[in-house]
Amino acid sequence: MATTTLAPRTAVYGRSRVYEWLTTTDHKKIGVLYITTAFGFFILGGIMALLIRTQLAVPGLDFVDAATYNQLFTMHGTTMIFFFVMPMTTGLANYIVPLQIGAADMAFPRINALSYWMVPLSGLLLYSGYAFGGAANAGWTGYAPLSGVSGGRLFEGVGIDLWIAGLVLVGTSSILGAINFIATIFKMRAPGLTLMRMPLFVWNTLVTSVLLLFAVPVLTAGFVMLFIDRHYGGGFFDPALGGNPVLWQHVFWFFGHPEVYILILPAFGIVTEILPVFSRKPLFGYKAFVFATASIGALGFSVWAHHMFTTGAVFLPFFSFFTFLIAVPTGIKFFNWLGTMWGGQLRFSTPLLFALGFISLFLIGGLDGAFLAVVPFDFHVQDTYWVVSHLHYVLVAGSVFGIFAALYYWFPKITGRMLHEGLGKVHWLGMFVGTNLAFFPQHLLGLDGMPRRIVHYADNPGWGPLNFLSTVGAFTIAASILPFLWNVVISLRKAPDAGDDPWDGNTLEWATTSPPPAYNFDSLPPVRSERPLFDLKHGAVAAHAVAIPAAAGETHEETRADAPEEMLGEPIEGHEAGQIAAEAQPGVSEAAPDATPHDARPKADDEPTPRRRKSDK
Amino acid sequence: MLAAPANTQLREFFRTLLGYLTRLTSRRVLWSALLAGALGAVALVLAACAGTGQNVTNITNPNPVSWFPPVPVTEQGDQVTGIYPLIFAVAVAVFVLVEGLLVIIALRFRRRSSDPDLPAQMHGNNLLEVTWTLIPALIVAFLFWQTVDRLAKIQHLSDSPPAVVVEVTGFQWQWTFDYPNQGALSFTGSGTTGPEMVVPASEPIRIRLHSRDVIHSFYVPLFNYKLDVIPGRTNEFEITIDEPGTYGGQCAEFCGLSHADMFFTVRAVARAEFDQWVTEQQAAASQTPAPLPSGGQTLTLNAVSVTAFDPATLTAKAGQPIVFDFHNLDTTNPHNVAIENATPEGAWVGTPIANPGQTASYSTPPLQAGTYTYFCAVHPTTMRGTLTVQP
Amino acid sequence: MIASAEVVTVPNAQVDPHGEAGHAETGINTALLGMLLFIGSELMFFAGLFAAYFNSRAAAPQWPPEGVDFINAAPLPLIVTGILVTSSFTMQWAVWRIRKGDRAGMNRAIVVTLVLGIVFLFLQVYDYNELVTEHGFGINSGIYGTLFYTLTGFHGAHVFGGVVGMSVVLLRGLSGQFSARHHVAVEAVSAYWHFVDVVWIGLFTTIYLLK
Repeated sequence: MATTTLAPRTAVYGRSRVYEWLTTTDHKKIGVLYITTAFGFFILGGIMALLIRTQLAVPGLDFVDAATYNQLFTMHGTTMIFFFVMPMTTGLANYIVPLQIGAADMAFPRINALSYWMVPLSGLLLYSGYAFGGAANAGWTGYAPLSGVSGGRLFEGVGIDLWIAGLVLVGTSSILGAINFIATIFKMRAPGLTLMRMPLFVWNTLVTSVLLLFAVPVLTAGFVMLFIDRHYGGGFFDPALGGNPVLWQHVFWFFGHPEVYILILPAFGIVTEILPVFSRKPLFGYKAFVFATASIGALGFSVWAHHMFTTGAVFLPFFSFFTFLIAVPTGIKFFNWLGTMWGGQLRFSTPLLFALGFISLFLIGGLDGAFLAVVPFDFHVQDTYWVVSHLHYVLVAGSVFGIFAALYYWFPKITGRMLHEGLGKVHWLGMFVGTNLAFFPQHLLGLDGMPRRIVHYADNPGWGPLNFLSTVGAFTIAASILPFLWNVVISLRKAPDAGDDPWDGNTLEWATTSPPPAYNFDSLPPVRSERPLFDLKHGAVAAHAVAIPAAAGETHEETRADAPEEMLGEPIEGHEAGQIAAEAQPGVSEAAPDATPHDARPKADDEPTPRRRKSDK
Repeated sequence: MLAAPANTQLREFFRTLLGYLTRLTSRRVLWSALLAGALGAVALVLAACAGTGQNVTNITNPNPVSWFPPVPVTEQGDQVTGIYPLIFAVAVAVFVLVEGLLVIIALRFRRRSSDPDLPAQMHGNNLLEVTWTLIPALIVAFLFWQTVDRLAKIQHLSDSPPAVVVEVTGFQWQWTFDYPNQGALSFTGSGTTGPEMVVPASEPIRIRLHSRDVIHSFYVPLFNYKLDVIPGRTNEFEITIDEPGTYGGQCAEFCGLSHADMFFTVRAVARAEFDQWVTEQQAAASQTPAPLPSGGQTLTLNAVSVTAFDPATLTAKAGQPIVFDFHNLDTTNPHNVAIENATPEGAWVGTPIANPGQTASYSTPPLQAGTYTYFCAVHPTTMRGTLTVQP
Repeated sequence: MIASAEVVTVPNAQVDPHGEAGHAETGINTALLGMLLFIGSELMFFAGLFAAYFNSRAAAPQWPPEGVDFINAAPLPLIVTGILVTSSFTMQWAVWRIRKGDRAGMNRAIVVTLVLGIVFLFLQVYDYNELVTEHGFGINSGIYGTLFYTLTGFHGAHVFGGVVGMSVVLLRGLSGQFSARHHVAVEAVSAYWHFVDVVWIGLFTTIYLLK
């Protein structure tokens, strides 16, 4: 759609850049702050991972001692979950959600800024443990009584208290963010943007926010109880005072399980955004996607005790049943993703590669989870490297791949510049190979009986080579980040070359400049479906399932660019400015998402006969 | 409005530096350097810490690594090997289906220059969507039914406890095995070997789990089973070990500093052999301890906690036995004292282990002059002190 | 790439003549929605604490444990319940008044609510003091003591928060900042105060009635 080019780089007011960034309430700047801060923690957490894997590369190594190792895996988990994935997805949502719903900012901009600044502050609290005799060392799950008190005895030191404080603060940041997103999504959508026309990324952000709103306060309650036990003689988890250690696990996992959906749903949303754009087809089964997302969110609250099968204190059939059940909506998503791509015209740019990597590898993590729902099997592999493998497949192959897909996809919108495709592909290859090398062998280690959270292991047959392979994989992942960082550096340095809509996108964020002006939109296209920009560009064809020939006057060679690289920064052939707008007949009906193919579009005499595909019904 | 001059200069400086660096190296050189650097770092690090490999010796699974859980040696473990091939088959089938479709999609639906501007814009297909909702639902329903059925068999407890009941107590970072029905035999482990639980094969035995401090977990990979050891709660399970043999186990719930060293073994023997072992152990337990040698030197030593002796340094004279007047002041953990390299064969270990609040008298052989490390055999990595033996 | 350098009018474009984009005219007020969502999160915080209570109660051989029979509904807990419930009515009265534009009536009602809230806090502190000095019952008196003080203590902290909120609203009300059409802060604080009351009713029922 045509936009008026104002003078976007006119500096307003007289404030310095530093002051501007420190005090901004603009969702776009806050989004960038979240993203860069989260990436910094990713590096920290990643270094810890490399240290862990070095220690485990061969049996009986003495690279770090047990005390250091226990802090390493605790801080690695806490950092990656609370300080990388969550702030990163919050940052992406912060930037993109208001744009995708056609809003000028978030509902509560100042609370948005507060939410951001709580993140580095809580990170500081968490890491200050290193300065005070040792960081947290009871695992990211901090099971009581090890993290608390038993028989009147305090087991671990001030690192745990700083861990509690840091997490309560970052949890509060998440709750405030959730309130902000829910209010924004319900109250600030553009006219015509009904709930069932929202982009799936917005839907996933909404469900994630609801999960955060209801789950994080329970974690806060748990931390309060733990702190009272530790310092006020409380008896929550101390059996000597009538308390129950398993209560900690109930409270923690009541948060902890929705938390894993909080970590993955944004990635689901990102993949669901990318596939239609890079397949040039609408999402297959939009309503089913919404239903599946909501079901996963709701069911996520019913399965927490599947982390506690071996405590002997849980009603096993109930939790096994719901754990199996949650596989069904997840499966629906997989098939709908495949259905979106089937019959499409795939452009294998880096965002699509990461989305495909996500689908192919998150599958493994998901199947692992199905194994774990079989309780007798869980008895064998609980607390072994099977679980470590599962959680890293869903978090690395899942969340991290989704995050990188988003970064490659939206980097042009945020910075106005395209990332280099070649470097992107090198990054992708390294991460794909590295992820499998690092985590697939861990299935076998867990099956074989290797427990988790151990600083060294005995020389059981096969454990050494598999661990070594896993270590090589970890270093491969780390090495693959380097081309990404280099890519960001060189791309930022070049002149803006992305334009408004480099990917031929469907949703509103591509209907403004890159980066958008402070107020986001000059004007909005009419919203009559879940693909308002697509409708604007392709007009009445949106309702039709017939393959669309070239517009009048074009040859096929001109219709599309030949190789994905040439797409970058180049105008999409055939779409002259103003031509689409002038022809726009936004007549997509409400029934469009479920429409069976029909042929009502009038044909001009000089247009070639549309080519029908065998897949059309 | 213009930015302050200092800011501009700084920015200019970094721009120039970056430009200089990128002009200096070609992209290929840069990548090679990065890759080489990364691999070099790995090699360096690994070379620098060529493992001593001596601190952990317990093999819990002597079988080669496989795609299947280890063949269990218990009747209950067969429930796992019964269901695993089924889930595995389902998982492989789903994996092949989805990955296969992905490969087909990637190959068949690449955008080609002969493609029209847009492909057919399908929004959905109700029949397909219902199908791929129902089929997974049926599959998981089947797996759930199998789960519940097999679970009941694993968790089954006899109406009255079997003849052999072992009370397992886990604590930071050792195990105690008590046999209340076999004359109150009690074994506490020391060092990374941990204690050995001898039980009769081919009959049900019950294992009851208690914790002295934090949560541990009783895990024997060859049983395909674990159960948590939780303070304030007694968990119990019953197994019948089909095959006589020695099976390694270790703690499988993170329990602090030396969690990785909390091993034990279970040795299943024929009933007759078990009875004989019981008789032997009862005889050994009722023996009066040997009298202490006279003329030895006495040192007072207190065990304060799992990480401290008091005092942490001691001196003694060479050529005479040392008698330790040992007090376990720790209220929750058993301790003892041992000395590294005290004999040509290795360490000297004081027996028996003193329970919380107990005192014990240990007598060492005569030592040569030199510096020795004394340690608690129950907590060998965390309780250490220095003994200087003077001529 | 669709952008062009020229200005092009887009047919059917949604223009925003009154600059109201982002400002909702229909449905619930955004700030009030934010407060309701916040209250939802606070409810879940208390849910966690209540879960601890019921889990401990279910696992205990005897509940309440031995030696805490001085924890009774009468007289003080009943009195403070009456005070808090009354204060909810007076708070709602304030809201009804300002909806009709009666600033003075609203201010009076808020003053009454505020006083009742402060009295509640004082009586709670008095109760704590009695329990500690006369019965030696503290947060470290076993799981029951821990639960009692944690639940009622965090509730009291939330009452204090409500008192602060009401004070702000009162100050703004006295300076004439509210009208029949613009008084979202009063609605929000009122919703929060009702939440605090509902939690107390749950607490009272659980600790003193259900036992």
